[in-house]
This record gives sequence, structure tokens and C-alpha cells, in this order.
Amino acid sequence: MAKIQYSFIFFLYIIIKCNGVNVDIISSDLKLKNVDRNIDISSQLVKITSKITLENTGRAPVKYFLYAAESVTKDNLAFVGFKDNNNKDLRLVETSVKGYDDVKFWRVELKEAVNAASTVVVMAEAVLTKALLPYPTAITQQEDQLVKFNGNLYFFSPYYVASQKTTVIVNTKSVESFTKVKPFSQQDGTISYGPYSNIGPFTEKELSIHYKNNSPFLTVTRIERLIEVSHWGNIAVEETIEIEHTGAKLKGPFSRYDYQQDHHSGPASVRSYKTLLPASAADVYYRDTNGNISTSNMKVKKDTVELDLRPRYPLFGGWRTHYTLGYNVPSYEYLYHSGNEYLLKMRVIDHIFDDMQVDELITKIILPEGSTNIKLNIPYPVSRLPDNLHYTYLDTKGRPVVSFTKRNVVENHIQDFQLRYTFPRLLMLQEPLLVVGFLYMLFLCVIIYVRLDFSIHKAEHPHKD
Amino acid sequence: MVRYTSPINPAVFPHLTLLLLGIGIFFTAWFFVYEVTSTKASRDLFKELLLSLVAALFSGFGILFLLLWVGIYV
Repeated sequence: MAKIQYSFIFFLYIIIKCNGVNVDIISSDLKLKNVDRNIDISSQLVKITSKITLENTGRAPVKYFLYAAESVTKDNLAFVGFKDNNNKDLRLVETSVKGYDDVKFWRVELKEAVNAASTVVVMAEAVLTKALLPYPTAITQQEDQLVKFNGNLYFFSPYYVASQKTTVIVNTKSVESFTKVKPFSQQDGTISYGPYSNIGPFTEKELSIHYKNNSPFLTVTRIERLIEVSHWGNIAVEETIEIEHTGAKLKGPFSRYDYQQDHHSGPASVRSYKTLLPASAADVYYRDTNGNISTSNMKVKKDTVELDLRPRYPLFGGWRTHYTLGYNVPSYEYLYHSGNEYLLKMRVIDHIFDDMQVDELITKIILPEGSTNIKLNIPYPVSRLPDNLHYTYLDTKGRPVVSFTKRNVVENHIQDFQLRYTFPRLLMLQEPLLVVGFLYMLFLCVIIYVRLDFSIHKAEHPHKD
Repeated sequence: MVRYTSPINPAVFPHLTLLLLGIGIFFTAWFFVYEVTSTKASRDLFKELLLSLVAALFSGFGILFLLLWVGIYV
């Protein structure tokens, strides 16, 4: 009887726990004393960093708080991250609140509980992709690119905000129009709003800025990153990349003559960009279906290998290109072992260009033949694709391939994954022994062949020895 | 956990290739010369098997290191 009771209590506990993960309540004890928001829209991304001063006006200590994204931006939101005073990352859990179905919530868990009547400062970072829309949507070769940013004038929060300030970095003096809600000020390159005091929870007010933005609007529509591990001391990385210029479309003709003559021609186009590879990268290649693309430069720097990639043609709005970039890195940089247990620690995605935005990322990891007990650990949620096999030189039953995919990826996602697997070291001998076996079979065939007699009649005078 | 390095230093792949393949080709040549010069009576199966085994072993490992040297990391 006691057993049943215990198990009942256990189940009850699990049910409560499950509900706790999925649904939260907005605590009325919490208040945002001050919010300092910085919106950087000088690149193709919208990077929002907020310094939030959280105040506990209740009596009980608070261990977590909620962060919300308004319904308009939640589809564009690529990354959300929180840091505390000591620049340490805070744990985030996606959650929801009853009655707010179209708002996306995160529960941020604090390292130390906030006691009653005390405050804590946290830094929030959010990156939005495709939030800057070109307006006009099509421009000629000579024109500058104008984009429109639509955001929220107030910090969107489930809590009462006592005081807030917003600074928008546009990095240009040519601002066509912007929302004017007093108090505001415009200095070269920045527009400041606030302080606004006593804004209620979930307040939305349109903040619209129409300005010149000629920074490269490049979107990687698809990247397939292939990592091939060899226990002979090498890790080969190959990235197949499709890129599209997603800024204002090119209207009218393209004149190569004007483009070459005048350096100010095509200000919104992309001539080249820089890709940073790991410092140990060697044997780099950059090619497409036609073969090697010779218009590239490689500079080996102290902590990185810098590639200056120039596509075969400049990229204007709506134009696209694709290429393959590959390199080798030594295994001791990323592979660890103890006995037959191996740990691969590599980047899920690497730098392609500054302020990159990636629509679809597919990472495939090819392990040596015979690897078992594969366990993958990734710092953020991805969708794992079914494991399959890859066949290449000297393979018999195929190499296990671990693959996963993620949409809407930005620079903040350049983080390490951890892949553990077991590989018996003796299996490395399989490859040379395959070659040896094959050659030995050939020799055996020769040995048998010389013993066969294909003559159609018997030699009348056999050779004398 | 310690950093994993190859059991054989990649810097010696070229030397290993040349050495192993050299020995392998020598034994292969010896084997074929023996096959075409010996007659039914003078042929020794044991010697043939031994020569071909040594030739296959050296050539096999030599070819593997050749693959590794040229960048086919099997």
C-alpha cells in the first residue's frame, strides 16, 4: 500500500514539474527599475542589447524572471541571450503564460535569488534577422539603399517599467524619417529616445526609422557544413554555401563599365567579403561548379586565417551565388581521447562574413568507420536528422554520419558542439589490411595463372630444363 | 581526456611512403621475375607465397601512406 502511495506522490510530483516547465505566471512582485536599451541597426541585423535593473518589490526572494518577445518580432528572432553582472551566461528556458498565446516567453534563471527590496542587473541580448526591409524595394545601380526599421518604442516586458531609455545606432546622417515621441534627440549616427517613465506591461508603440543602409545585405540561404574525422590525424571541413543579396533589388540594367570606372557605383552591391577560418586551417580551397575561383586572397594571421573571397561577379539585390569552401585542420586541435573513448569539440557553424544571417544550416559529421555509442551535445536546440552512412575510400560497411539542422542562425550561434563516441584503436589497421589483402589476392591469381595450361595441343617436345 | 594525435606523425608520411613502397615494389618485381623465369619443375610454391606476402604487406602499407600523403585521409 505504501508503495502505491509513494508512486502516486511521485506521479503527482512529475505532473506538477511538467506543468512548471511549460507554463509560468507573471509575478506581480517584480518591477523593472530601469532599462537601458541599445538598438544597433547599422548592419543588416538588428542587434538589441538591454541593461535591465530588476527590482523585487515583494517579500519572498525571486529566483527567475520572464522575458517576452512581441508577436511581430518573434518570427525574426534568431538569438536571445542573458548575462549577469559577472558576464556569465544565464540559463534560458522557453515557456508560455496563460492568456498571452501570441507572445513568446523565456524564463531566465538567475544565479542567485533576488531578495526582497533589492535589485539585480542583467544584460539581455537579442538578434533579429530580416527585420530591416528595403524601401523602396528596387533601386538602380547608382542609388543608395534605403531601409525601414519597425520596432517597439518601449521595452517589451511582462513587468512594469519605471524608467527606460533607448538609443538607436543608424551609423549614418541620412535619415529620411523617424518616429518622434518626446523626449528624443538625434546626433550624428544615433537617435535617442527617453527617458520614458512608468510604462505598463506589454505596451507596444511603433518605432519606425527610414534611413540609408549600404552595409552588405547578404543572406546565406543554405549552408551544408561537412566535418570528416580521420584518426590518421586530420579533420577535413567542407562548406557548401548558397548566398543571396537580400537587399533592395536591382532595377534596370547593370553596366559593368560604370561599375569598374567609378568606385562609388553600386554602393549597395557586394564586391567581396572576408571569411575567418581557424588559425590551424591548411589546404584551403574555394571553388564552384566551374572549378577554382581565382579571385581570392588568403592571409595567415596570428589567431586566424583570413580569406578575402570575391565571387565571380558583384552581388546586387536579388542576385545569388554558390560555392564550396574547404580546409583541413589537425585532429589535436579538436579531438580528445582517453582509451577508446573520443570527444570531438568543434564549432556548429563557423564565421562566413561579419553580421551574417543564415536561413538554413545543415551540419554533418562523418566519423571513422566502426565508431559506436555516438552521443551529441549542442548548446542550443537544433533538429537532429536521421543518422546514415557515408561511403568513401577503403570503406566496407560505411562511416556513421551524424547530422542536424537549424534555421535562422547568426554569429551568436558560433559555439562548440560535443560529440562523444567509442572507437577501438585496432580498427585503424583495417584500412591498410584491406589494401594488403587485395594485393595478395592479385598475386595469388598470378600464382594460379602460371599453373594453368591454355595450349590447344600437347607440346610434342617438352622443354628441357 | 588528452588531445588526440595520429599514431604516426603526419610529417613522416612522405618518408614512410617512399620507403615502404620502395621495398614493396622491389619484392613485387622479384615475385614477377621469379614467376616468369621459373619452370614447372623449378617452381617452389612456398617461396612464391612468401614473396607475394612480403610484397603485398609493404605495398599495401605504402599505398595507404601515399593516400594519406596526398591528402586522402581515409
